[in-house]
Amino acid sequence: MYFTMAMLGILYAVFALFLLGAGTPIIFILPIIGAIFIVQYFMSDRLILMSTGAKTVSEEQEPALHKMIKTLADRYEMPMPKVAVIDTAIPNAFATGRNPKNSLVAVTTGIQQRLNERELQAVIGHELAHVANRDMRVLAVANFLVTLTSFLMTMLFWNMLFGGMGGRRNNNGGGMMMVYLVTIIVYFIGQLLVLALTRYREYGADHTGAEISGDPGALADALEKISGTVANIPDKDLRKLQTANAFLIIPAALKGQGSMNLFSTHPPLQERVKRLRELEQRMRYGLR
Amino acid sequence: MGIFGGSKTPKDDWSAMSTVIKAEAKLQTLGEITPSRRAGVIYRNSDDNAFLGSIESELKSILYVGDGATKTSFEVEDDDRGMRWIVLEDGNFSDLVSSVYTVGNAINMNDGADNLLAAVFELYFTGTVEDNTYRSGTRTYWIYRYDRKAFYPFVPTGENEGERDRPTEARLGMDLREHGLTIEKSLTEWMGLWGIPF
Repeated sequence: MYFTMAMLGILYAVFALFLLGAGTPIIFILPIIGAIFIVQYFMSDRLILMSTGAKTVSEEQEPALHKMIKTLADRYEMPMPKVAVIDTAIPNAFATGRNPKNSLVAVTTGIQQRLNERELQAVIGHELAHVANRDMRVLAVANFLVTLTSFLMTMLFWNMLFGGMGGRRNNNGGGMMMVYLVTIIVYFIGQLLVLALTRYREYGADHTGAEISGDPGALADALEKISGTVANIPDKDLRKLQTANAFLIIPAALKGQGSMNLFSTHPPLQERVKRLRELEQRMRYGLR
Repeated sequence: MGIFGGSKTPKDDWSAMSTVIKAEAKLQTLGEITPSRRAGVIYRNSDDNAFLGSIESELKSILYVGDGATKTSFEVEDDDRGMRWIVLEDGNFSDLVSSVYTVGNAINMNDGADNLLAAVFELYFTGTVEDNTYRSGTRTYWIYRYDRKAFYPFVPTGENEGERDRPTEARLGMDLREHGLTIEKSLTEWMGLWGIPF
């Protein structure tokens, strides 16, 4: 993970030097970037609340949920976060906030209904781990750099189309093209690194959450339950199966997996569950 | 897309089926299962086929005569759903597995693989240990489907179709895969066998 973070840092440092060297007026766009950053960093919780329809709930409205979150927050030695509920059947949960003081935990009514207390506790433990690990801040900074490059990419594109700003035409077209191409490459590499970072943070939160609760299996159970994988196990008896299966040309083993990994923000479910089960084994047998 | 990605599908039955030997040994070392000695091969019978028509004597000569002679005992049983079972028993688990393979292979050679449904191994997970019984805890079956060339766990909770402990099966599948068993990746293919005659 630290390797990925270092790579991100190096990528953007080299990129900044490159831009300066190529004579790009980066000073010009700094105020705009600053504004974007401030909005992203300080308003994100409110923006997320608005976009997801989450409503903050008081202790009177959701006493059990409050109590559960309070117990967990105490274990993390963090202040009590705000609690919100989203009224939807889709099982999900998230946490937000740039630091533990300004954090918020939201769960959907769907997840409350579907999980038992032990599993819900594990899910909230995972979300609080994101807060405790300051993941929102790390990702805000990382995402900001990506936003910056994409902004620059658009600017350069229009700049090339309409030929420079305010009559500064000392750059030749070829140099500009070069800067544009490098920006695109940096944008894509940056994007991939951020996605990798997100996945590491996800594993990290799984791990921290499990250590706090001492029950890694609970989150694994919850993940399996939410994803509905267990429900895929059929009612059908094997003897009712016709021989049609013999005609299947592509075996199920060849389909899926692998290619999506690089671009997905959450690690594949089976990998997370596998790691949690391993942790469970280690805790149970005291192996290290 | 199943929850178990990863390993490649083996080409032949033996390389897939034999993974059960290692997995069983590993779980025994961990003290999680009691020694296992029973298994079965289930197939759709047809008396028109000369080999299947005299399966008992055929299997006797295959299992007990010549170089590969084993001590595995077997019985032929018909279930109420029109299928025939060869139920095998052997105190040595790897001998049991190779006998199961031999029986399946013989049926395959003489009747083709289409009517060969599955090989089923019975395994008891320790947990609640009752005194004076060498079998205790949760009874599980590991079903090997010949058409899929992979295993999956089956934990029935009753005799009726659909009665099974899905969460335990999902967990067990994950554990067994960790222990090297070739696991069927698509959960929708984990079809049960209710009323196993052993």
